Amino acid sequence: MSVQSASASDRGARSGSRRRASAQAVTVAAVAVLSLLVIAAVAAPWIAPYDPLHQSLGAALQGPSTAHWLGTDDLGRDVLSRLVYGCRIAVIAAAEATSIAVVLGVPLGLFVGYRGGWWDWAVMRLVEAVVSIPGIMVAIVIIAILGTGLHRAMIALGILFSTSFLRLARGVVLTEREEVYVKLARVVGASDRRILLRHIFPNIAPPLIVQVTLTVGAVLLAEAGLSFIGLGVQPPDASWGTMLNTAASYMELNWFLAIPPGIAIVATVLSINLLGDVIRDSIGRGVAVGVKPTTPVARFEAAAPASPESAAPPPRRDDDVLRIEGLQVVVSAKEGGEVPVITDLSLAIARGETLGLVGESGSGKTLTGLSILGLIGAGGRSTHGTITLNGTELRALTERQREQVRGNAVAMVFQDPTTSLNPAFTVGNQIAEVLRAKKGLSRKAAWARTIELIDRVGIPRPAERARAYPHELSGGMAQRVAIARALSCNPALLIADEPTTALDVTVQQEILDLFRDLQDEFGMAILFVTHDLAVAADICDRIAVMYAGEIVEVAPVDTLFATPRHPYTRGLLSAMPHASDRDPPLPTIRGTVPRPGSWPRGCRFSDRCGFRTDACGQRVPLTGTGRLVRCLRAGDPELEAGR
Amino acid sequence: MSDSPLLEIRDLWVTYWQRSGLTLRRRPFHAVKGATLSIAPGETLGLVGESGSGKSSIANAVLGLVPAASGSIRFGDAELSAMKTRYPAAARRQIQAVFQDPFSSLNPSMTVGDIVAEPLRVHTGMSREERRARAAELLKLVSLSEEHLGRHPHQFSGGQRQRVAIAAALALQPRLIVLDEPASALDVSTQNQIINLLYERRDALGIAYLLIAHDLALVHHISDRIAVMYLGHIVEQGPAGRVYSAPAHPYTRALLEAVPLLDPARQRARRAARKAAPAVEAPRDAVSGCPYSNRCPSVMARCRSAMPAAFPVEGGGTASCFLAEDRGRARPAGEPASLAS
Repeated sequence: MSVQSASASDRGARSGSRRRASAQAVTVAAVAVLSLLVIAAVAAPWIAPYDPLHQSLGAALQGPSTAHWLGTDDLGRDVLSRLVYGCRIAVIAAAEATSIAVVLGVPLGLFVGYRGGWWDWAVMRLVEAVVSIPGIMVAIVIIAILGTGLHRAMIALGILFSTSFLRLARGVVLTEREEVYVKLARVVGASDRRILLRHIFPNIAPPLIVQVTLTVGAVLLAEAGLSFIGLGVQPPDASWGTMLNTAASYMELNWFLAIPPGIAIVATVLSINLLGDVIRDSIGRGVAVGVKPTTPVARFEAAAPASPESAAPPPRRDDDVLRIEGLQVVVSAKEGGEVPVITDLSLAIARGETLGLVGESGSGKTLTGLSILGLIGAGGRSTHGTITLNGTELRALTERQREQVRGNAVAMVFQDPTTSLNPAFTVGNQIAEVLRAKKGLSRKAAWARTIELIDRVGIPRPAERARAYPHELSGGMAQRVAIARALSCNPALLIADEPTTALDVTVQQEILDLFRDLQDEFGMAILFVTHDLAVAADICDRIAVMYAGEIVEVAPVDTLFATPRHPYTRGLLSAMPHASDRDPPLPTIRGTVPRPGSWPRGCRFSDRCGFRTDACGQRVPLTGTGRLVRCLRAGDPELEAGR
Repeated sequence: MSDSPLLEIRDLWVTYWQRSGLTLRRRPFHAVKGATLSIAPGETLGLVGESGSGKSSIANAVLGLVPAASGSIRFGDAELSAMKTRYPAAARRQIQAVFQDPFSSLNPSMTVGDIVAEPLRVHTGMSREERRARAAELLKLVSLSEEHLGRHPHQFSGGQRQRVAIAAALALQPRLIVLDEPASALDVSTQNQIINLLYERRDALGIAYLLIAHDLALVHHISDRIAVMYLGHIVEQGPAGRVYSAPAHPYTRALLEAVPLLDPARQRARRAARKAAPAVEAPRDAVSGCPYSNRCPSVMARCRSAMPAAFPVEGGGTASCFLAEDRGRARPAGEPASLAS
């Protein structure tokens, strides 16, 4: 990864790359320590300057010297040589105990997790009993049965640590077996063994790798501990634990004896755990969007200029609550660089007005809502344009000031009420908290207002329901609570992102009616984001259709549905299920929404459009007055006839 | 309807046992309460209802993912409910499924080729090469191509993933595919592409579908017959056109009227009507008598005490509503309501 922060203006980006660089240095160090350990273990006879067992009582307990770099122990044996041979024991110990733990724990965990029932109950109680006793005690008991010695001690540790692998494997099976693909494998008729090995087991790998590294560290410590108390490696063999044992006996005569094995143990265990962290992080990163914000934005600006031909901003109205002009949002791409996801977006919403933002997934409509709140998230930022709320330019605000705006002047309702409410608090609490934090109400006043609000959104027995937890409410009721919370500070603008998509149709209708009623009463402006044009027809005054990061058509609701002008709007309308009463094939728009970064040049809909001409290869502006459309052929008789 | 149905469900009950609180006592929750349905070979039955209506439980019972508490599920000559969840291979081969969520229905650690070939691997003795060739063929059937074989599911869009799921379901040439909300996680245009694909494959291969969905408007395009569920009961069933255009049960009507229209003016008129006669607010809990009686706008005294039987409806099918019985009585003699559908 190259660190080329010279051109980056973003301070956050630079500190981020510094953090990555230092993390990288740590990884390299950890890998180096571990490689050294393995090399020492394999090549001990060649590296070690002396025979680790060779005694020379005349030269006992010496400090470091040129002959003995790390001195000698109580029997005059060379400490460096013993340390190097100790590596061998450490590697054998780690490999032995960890493999026993994996071989024992993983299959058993898979089995009990999948089988469940009595097997699961019995095995898990046993595991809990083992885990509830200090590990070293369990190991000592097992050694008492098996006898002392390195291999027996490692079998003991293997059995002990197999419990954590068992729990891990069982945990993965319990989540995976609820996955739809496991259900499908059962429908297909795959045997239980096949489902476990072929469908579930591969998904266990990432957590398993991390667990292995943690176990290796723990085994090294435990081996040293057991050898120290004389239950592991037996004298005269050299292990770090027995070396520490010796050092302890001669503490007063030569304190230095404890230092080499001590450092060896600390460095090895630390390295292996750090490596485990790195592996875990890298697995996690595979899911998140890779962020590499050091590349300047210039690259795409050349490709998609914040164009001079961009439409004039929407006409100013006296009662505009929100005005967005020329907004452009970019996100970091996995391959590096930044990719535009919203370009040249302008819209305005007046007091008491509902503007629908419709489009397929990937069109950028949700991101538009989030960018008003300044909540685009890691890897994304707005680069151009203005977002004005009641005369305040939101993009110029500091994060602190923005926090004041969120919840107070702008509020949001999300798609899934069961995840947007915190399951740990009562619903009343969550509304009251907003009132106390944003409005500074007293506890009592906030609670009274909360009950009023819950009553206002049409929930029967509000005082009782305020004390309910989110999971005790149905989806519709929970969404009403989320709406009550959003309205608690009487916002000027309410952003509703697919607020009815997760609900049943009959409940959807009730929620849409509620939005209407509340708007009549509170007079807020609503930005209603939805993929469902029929819902938009029900709730909106005006509709903006988005496609591939830009608005392609804006019109009052009746006009849009009566005479859609953009081919994309038409495609969407005719694809709605109730639009046609005929048998399949149902009308479709060919192809799919292109991903950001692979939009066609010129008109972004051109590769899916049936009315494409050569001129469509140029950037197309959003034109018109009153109703706007981004199509060169809007109004063209051929296109109109194609309806 | 053909004389011998492919799938015949009679008085099916599906019960889940829920542990309540910290006690060891478990309470029964009846997800399906005595459902009777049948599907003829090559026929599509749309099963519609809101979340919690029990439609997915019927699907799971047919697929042998949950056992039937009582009642019978006959598939061809085999009685499936007696086998609990261990179906014989012959029945397994002939019933396949496509589920809703295209993001969790494909195993992230397998390639598309392996996913599509998995049923072949389980049920046939095909060699690796034969399976690969067949998988490539299947991908072509769903408008994907051979080059997709080696890719992993995360490299596909939602619509493409659903195509892969359909290809896997077609692999064994089943006679019945259970489609549990196959398109509802997709955008409208993609949704239509999937519906078209299912329709096309059905006509080409003569497969029967049990199509489960919440959207009546979408279901009626592709179904021959529709059954509507409410709280575990099948409250209405009949030919798709009749149920969609002349619903006999008040719940079916409510369901249809709640679907927003593309016409803002008609939508406003509907809202005004709703305001004039507000809907009955009632919990969607089980009540005695007709399950819909606490929300029904035309509820009568007897609805609260007795569960209406399935009465025949003019135009085909049945409705479990006393209004349907009254209408049936009012019909002049010699004009029997047709049960055939």
